[in-house]
Amino acid sequence: MHQFGPDPWICGLVRIQPQKIRNPFRVTKLYPKPVSSKRTNGQLTKQRSFLFFFPVVSSLPSSISPIFALVASAPICTVSSPLSMADVDEEDYVYFGTPIEREEEISSRKRKAIAEPGTLRSLPPWKQEVTDEEGRRRFHGAFTGGYSAGYYNTVGSKEGWTPQTFTSSRKNRAEVKKQNIYSFLDEDDLKDIGGNTLETSMQYDTFGFTAAEFARKKAEEEQKKRPSAIPGPAPDEIVLPASSSIGMRLLMKMGWRQGHSIKDSNAESLSEIRREARKAFMALSSNKAEPDISEKDADGTDEFPDMSIDVLRNSENTPVYVLNPKQDMYGLGYDPFKHAPEFRDSKRLRESKSRETKRSKVHMGSLLSSNSKKYAPGFGIGALEELDAEDEDIYASGFDYEQTEVELEPSKAVSSSSGDRMLQLEHKKRGSLLGFKLASDSDYKLERFYPPAIPSNFRPIHKFGAPLDQTLKNYNSVPPPDAPPPENTNLRLLIEGSAAMVARCGKSIEDLYMEKSKTNPLFLFLKSGAEGYDYYVRKLWENKQKFVDNLKPAEKLTAENRGRILGERPLASTTSRVNDVSVKAREVINTQSSHGDTVTKPISLADLPDSAIKQFKHDPAKQERFELFLKEKYQGGLRASGTRSSTSTSTMSEADRARERLDFEAAAEAIEKGKQTIQISAPSTDHTKDLLGFGEDRFVSSTLIENSETKLEETNVVYPKREQFEWRPSPILCKRFDLIDPYMGKPPPVPRPRSKMDSLIFLPEIFKSSNKEDAKSPIGNSLEASKSGLKEAEAEPSASEADVAPTSPKNVERPVDLYKAIFSDDSDDDEADAGPALNQALNPVKSSEGANKTLNRLVAGDFLESLGKELGLEVPPGSIPGPSLNANTVSLPEEQKSCKGGDDRDNTPFPKVKETKSKDYGSTVDSSREKKRSHSKHHRRRSRTPDLDPDSGSDSDSHRRHRSRSKKRHDRRDRSRSRDSESSDEAYMNRKERRKKHHSRHHEHKKKDYGDKYSDKKRRS
Amino acid sequence: MPVAGFQVSTINMDHNIPFSEERIWDLGLRLWRRAKAVMAGQSSSGWELAVNESGVLKGHEGAVLAVRFNGDGNYCLTCGKDRTLRLWNPHRGIHIKTYKSHAREVRDVHVTTDNAKLVSCGGDRQLFYWDVSSGRVIRKLRGHDSEVNSVKFNEYNAVVVSAGYDRSVRAFDCRSQSTEPIQIIDTFQDSVMSVHLTKTEIIAGCVDGTVRTFDIRMGRELVDQLGHPVNCISLSNDANCVLASCLDSTLRLLDRSTGELLQEYKGHKCKSYKMDCCLTNTDAHVVSGSEDGFIYFWDLVDASIVSSFRAHSSVVTSVSYHPKDVCMLTSSVDGTIKVWRK
Repeated sequence: MHQFGPDPWICGLVRIQPQKIRNPFRVTKLYPKPVSSKRTNGQLTKQRSFLFFFPVVSSLPSSISPIFALVASAPICTVSSPLSMADVDEEDYVYFGTPIEREEEISSRKRKAIAEPGTLRSLPPWKQEVTDEEGRRRFHGAFTGGYSAGYYNTVGSKEGWTPQTFTSSRKNRAEVKKQNIYSFLDEDDLKDIGGNTLETSMQYDTFGFTAAEFARKKAEEEQKKRPSAIPGPAPDEIVLPASSSIGMRLLMKMGWRQGHSIKDSNAESLSEIRREARKAFMALSSNKAEPDISEKDADGTDEFPDMSIDVLRNSENTPVYVLNPKQDMYGLGYDPFKHAPEFRDSKRLRESKSRETKRSKVHMGSLLSSNSKKYAPGFGIGALEELDAEDEDIYASGFDYEQTEVELEPSKAVSSSSGDRMLQLEHKKRGSLLGFKLASDSDYKLERFYPPAIPSNFRPIHKFGAPLDQTLKNYNSVPPPDAPPPENTNLRLLIEGSAAMVARCGKSIEDLYMEKSKTNPLFLFLKSGAEGYDYYVRKLWENKQKFVDNLKPAEKLTAENRGRILGERPLASTTSRVNDVSVKAREVINTQSSHGDTVTKPISLADLPDSAIKQFKHDPAKQERFELFLKEKYQGGLRASGTRSSTSTSTMSEADRARERLDFEAAAEAIEKGKQTIQISAPSTDHTKDLLGFGEDRFVSSTLIENSETKLEETNVVYPKREQFEWRPSPILCKRFDLIDPYMGKPPPVPRPRSKMDSLIFLPEIFKSSNKEDAKSPIGNSLEASKSGLKEAEAEPSASEADVAPTSPKNVERPVDLYKAIFSDDSDDDEADAGPALNQALNPVKSSEGANKTLNRLVAGDFLESLGKELGLEVPPGSIPGPSLNANTVSLPEEQKSCKGGDDRDNTPFPKVKETKSKDYGSTVDSSREKKRSHSKHHRRRSRTPDLDPDSGSDSDSHRRHRSRSKKRHDRRDRSRSRDSESSDEAYMNRKERRKKHHSRHHEHKKKDYGDKYSDKKRRS
Repeated sequence: MPVAGFQVSTINMDHNIPFSEERIWDLGLRLWRRAKAVMAGQSSSGWELAVNESGVLKGHEGAVLAVRFNGDGNYCLTCGKDRTLRLWNPHRGIHIKTYKSHAREVRDVHVTTDNAKLVSCGGDRQLFYWDVSSGRVIRKLRGHDSEVNSVKFNEYNAVVVSAGYDRSVRAFDCRSQSTEPIQIIDTFQDSVMSVHLTKTEIIAGCVDGTVRTFDIRMGRELVDQLGHPVNCISLSNDANCVLASCLDSTLRLLDRSTGELLQEYKGHKCKSYKMDCCLTNTDAHVVSGSEDGFIYFWDLVDASIVSSFRAHSSVVTSVSYHPKDVCMLTSSVDGTIKVWRK
């Protein structure tokens, strides 16, 4: 719905009644409804507001919008709809009239001003006020007679001039204000200037450009002011200039209509008159004779064609002639084609061509319509891209004169001389430049080469005469008898050489040699019967054989070939179930090959009994392949096996290979089964093998040299077995897992061992325990065999170190008993503390019992308690200890060293308790002495640490003392924090010591006096 | 609550350890776990297994090496020898997308919990970090010296942890631009076959016969030696147990807190191929493929074979169980992925 209010700009109100409006605009869907009639000053002004109901705006016929737009742009619009003006009925009228004045606008001030002069004049002069015509007081100021420029009726405020403010926020964007002179002038000033403004006069607007432009602008403004129901700018066709030029008006008066040419319309007017006359005549005679009408009508239709032609001819407008409009942005008078006029013509030609294609769209009347933009040349846009603002040719002029120019070309052409015209036509045709002519004849000729004629008997498929094999077989068939080489070595060499040449290059060389032999006695051997001929023939045959073999490497003597040659019987399985077997086999092969590199099988061949492997002894080649197969199968792991057995079995057919493969598989399985039975009888091999898998055998080649003693020992190991090591996550990893770095602030980890030797030396405990008797020798020996001297060199110093300082602290095995001795004040929950999960013993047989017990209690405690309650059983509360972690294992550096394994695991905060049962030297140590030692150590540490980390150091110390007195339980964090106070050199020392300990395990008897020595050392330091 | 399928008497028959106090505690612990598992997932529906084939996903050319449900089980990802990753809706049998960039076979794939990113690994020694919707590779993480066997995102999708033939487990940071690993764990003695992540731990199974748990919070490494090459590991849904598939055709269920062997599952064939194993959504059963194309279901507690049937014509490379429903995916060397329901 849109309401047109009585706005001052509307000079006339239009009231439209449905029945009065006839078809031109089809406004039948409009339902006008009078809303109010206003009375002002007692007069009834025919001022009405109308509500136009648009039932559904979007479904309106498009012809509605013209009406609407027409009304919207009312002030300068003429309503060209054929509304009848002659009707006198008041209600139904369209009023043209006086502009409406708003009541508010007619200010009381003005009326007062108009009314007052008389009264004012009667006042004494000092009370009289000068006012302007608006009734505002003109003069103010101290003396009232003065002229004041500010505040009251001019500009500014009481405080004076207020400066302009500028605010712009994200929501309320400040508009960029364009200031011009008028924004600084008030009405009075404007009035002064008023007459001097430069304006376009509509009067002499011959072509209606200005008026149209003006109208459009106005309409747009209006559009902006009052957003209408139908968005978008008003179409140009609807907004017509209200005023037309005088000339146009005159012409209109004379009968000219828009869109028609001005010419002598005598004929037309004559026919018009005639038609009128006929009409009148017919009207008169209609009553008399009905059939006449049809006759006349027929007559009229006869006449019509002429007339319509006439009308058509006349309706063409005379083209507007604009000479050389400036279309570019060159400077005035600049002619880019000054020295090359030809290009100008060609350019114009190009343009006119492109214009011709558009011509259909061009209407002379709508000069303003062109909204189309020019696009910058040279930048192609894709077929799918939309034309964008950036694609516009910003250098093109804003005006588009295309339409006016359309008609120019032909007329120009007509006016120019016929010769010129011919030329133009021609170059239009050929597209050559003006002034150039196409040559009538040219030297250049396109030369064509025809394809060669195919002979009629040509057949496009080539057939080989005889298979190569056959020719080769000829050599095989008749081996010449072996002949002894001639005594003359020179001759022998010559014969051999020439035989090789002939074998390689063919008969032609032999012919050449024959020729030579005529002159040269050296080549006499070529003649049959001559000395060395037999030898030559034999050599030639041999060479040819070789050559053939080279050509066909597959034809080499394989096991099967040889077998066939020697008359051996093939294996039994090959003949009978070839088909189904081969299918199956292929499947196996496929899975194998498709899985080839994801197969895992780290079993080694070494321990297989020799007889088991040598299953195909009778066939060495096959045996070889079988061994290769076994190797690949067992040693493979995840190794990619692209080149597997491609060479050795290439001579065999697919089916053969598959069959063999199946055989191998079966044999391998049999071997494995045999192995398993062996294992059952002597449960040794498998575990040890796998164990060794992560010890030596990754450095030694896949064929292990097994140590039988270690094997026997290691079989005792029960799986699964749990070990625990220190591991240092990187800080960034902790961060990404959203965890606190357990090693925050700790010294950086020790660099990894350079050589594999190191990691071997510090093997995990299992190996150590197994190799305890001969600490160095087995590993050393086995490695010396395979490793470079460098590693040995590295091994040596460490070993010698161990020898030099055998009494160095073997702190690894520090027993808990010792701590018991130290902290022997109370012994209430020692047992419970001894074995939580953290302190998983290495020897599961011995110590897992306690650990499991505790842990099970821990985890299942509450559950079982509740279960027991449900069952009505009494669960003794004392038997379920709380989640206690061990307290005994204070994080003394000695203990951290107890962690065996990789040498980077030296500073573990998780000491092991598993050594508790192993050593008993704790008992030999005097407990009071030990106490003293520990205290002295604390003192030492305290004295050392403040500069490092005073807080944590003292903190941990206090903790420790506390613990040493009361032996309270401490959680892991306490212990790890106490690690903070460790100085780095101490850590280094520990590391060293630990290393030594590994080497000198067998010197364990010396550990007894370790306690004393260590404390002595500490005291000294 | 009457717990279906509870057979207490059979639980400890496999070990001839006398009924000591610990043993009883142990038994209680197991019962507790079982009860927990039962209460967590299985209500009245009983022990239903995904044993009926309900669909086949075809499209891979050549062997399919892994199939993985996404976090909510609505989609699945497969990868194979044809060097592609494929995204499917297994419930409707629709192939959604193919991801191509790998130069060698793809061995494992994992998707983030928000389904926005993928990570995949394979024979070309690098990890590919993908954008799921666009199908583009966001980053290629280099760092393994050899083939990469397994890869996982962590809980926050910030770290990718991969296990490779080069005897190492490596962690990569997804949030940085760096393609270098932020951590290399190379205490392994042989090819690392499988890796799993919990909130605080990295668990990896290795051919050297160990399952190693790297506890980031504690800064320690727990090594559980099984004595047999570990082919694949899988976590129970309550993350208390780890199931390790060993190359002696045995699955071993370990208690993670103690390292104790809870149960062994035998009957299938697993000797040389990389194959997957897993627990069902209720933790009531253990599933594994077999090299002869069979699928085996064991009861978790008494290790009896509940069901076994031929699923594929060739080696079953991977099994993946739906996180909530009774639905299972299996993939095979024969190039098919099958959907199984109850």
